[in-house]
Amino acid sequence: MTYSIIARCQRTGRFGVGSTTFSMACGRRHESVRPNVGISKSQAFYLRYVDPLALNLLAQGYTPQHIMRTLAADDPDFDYRQFGIIDRENNVVAHTGPGCGQWAGHTTGPHYAAYGNGLAGPQTVAGIISGFLKQPDAPLEERLMMALEGGRDAGGQVSKGVKRPERSAWIRVVSQLDFPEIDIRVDLHDKTVAELRRIFEEFKRYRDYYGARCDHPRNAVPEEDFVAGLDARAA
Amino acid sequence: MTYSIIARCPRTGQLGIGIASYSIAIGMYCDGAVRANTGVTLTQGHPNPRNNYLAINLLAQGRTAGQALAELIGNDADSEYRQIAIVDRENNAVAHTGASLRKWAGHRIGKGFVTFGDVLAGQQVVDALAAGFEAAPEAGLDERLLAALEAGRNAGGMAGGKGRLPERSAAMIVWGNRTYNEVDLRVDLHERAVDELRRIYIDYKPSIAYYEERARSPRNAVPAMEFADMLKNQQQQKTT
Repeated sequence: MTYSIIARCQRTGRFGVGSTTFSMACGRRHESVRPNVGISKSQAFYLRYVDPLALNLLAQGYTPQHIMRTLAADDPDFDYRQFGIIDRENNVVAHTGPGCGQWAGHTTGPHYAAYGNGLAGPQTVAGIISGFLKQPDAPLEERLMMALEGGRDAGGQVSKGVKRPERSAWIRVVSQLDFPEIDIRVDLHDKTVAELRRIFEEFKRYRDYYGARCDHPRNAVPEEDFVAGLDARAA
Repeated sequence: MTYSIIARCPRTGQLGIGIASYSIAIGMYCDGAVRANTGVTLTQGHPNPRNNYLAINLLAQGRTAGQALAELIGNDADSEYRQIAIVDRENNAVAHTGASLRKWAGHRIGKGFVTFGDVLAGQQVVDALAAGFEAAPEAGLDERLLAALEAGRNAGGMAGGKGRLPERSAAMIVWGNRTYNEVDLRVDLHERAVDELRRIYIDYKPSIAYYEERARSPRNAVPAMEFADMLKNQQQQKTT
């Protein structure tokens, strides 16, 4: 049980993934996003080597559509896999095998895919998308956060008629550099999407400071002084 | 205001990182820092995000850890503000602590590992990181990295001008010989990040084999919820 969104920002070309699940530490899977190449994010009964393979194929020039056929041909258990792939030309595919359980499904848009398994129903995927589309001019990371909240508020995950908590969550956005622009995680928490929002809001307060500390270390003020200034302004 | 250990397991060849910081989401700065069968590196203090990638690319070309370190320093006009460590697959371990880092800053080089940090309580922190790592050499690399962090924290951790600085984020990463990590756990913002990392690790560890097996044999897989309940029952039995 997991629900995710993968997307390419139409203004900046940045790639981003937002994901939340009952399993722990879903954000460990950063091999699923590659700058200037695309995203391949598999879930349900996922094999970890598939996303790096799909991204290598994308980098070689194959289309997501062809890669999906390649993966299907090489996998006797393809019916149990769920994944989405997006490339830098906005080609999007998604696959939900019939073995992924109830309810499982996906919706692809012109530059995004939302998908999940072990969900309350199609309303969870619809909630992800309406969250993502709510503020089309917002930065991609904001839209991914709203997508996860939209999925949660639409019912999130249900298994055997019982609501299942999201326990881990993750947002990652990459631009042209190797290093991500944002990568924040909650690995184990009983209200993980709300906790991710809390960390996201904190991270935004630090973001420029951390960037400047890397780029212009000569001018950096000690972080505890920066934090004291933040707290003073908030008070 | 960060302390870390990077290490290569001499038995398995696994490569790993343990890191704790006053800065939030410090695990983000470990991006690109490990590559299977290549090496492990980390730049902190005032991080230079391109360094991890450059160092690993140099190791992949066949450079030694020492050569790669010299290249990183030569490539960075602000290298005196950086703290850099590299361990390669030949077990060479090197480190650089720039002269302009906030005190106390320093590193300690061991066999196939480096402990290092800045804005620390003192030398005793990097010594404790090393002692924690070496305390149980037969343990798994993940256990040893976590033990190192706990020892560093217990030895005083970080201290700024006005005293102790809390660990607000932490991470622990282990790679084997695959194209993806074996363990990658993070705490991005917490009052006691090292304790929280331990809590997550205890819950996470037993599930690693389960998730691998369920992907290989999805037809026979125990549902994730049932597995989670099973674990919970086992843990309750242990504590009662």
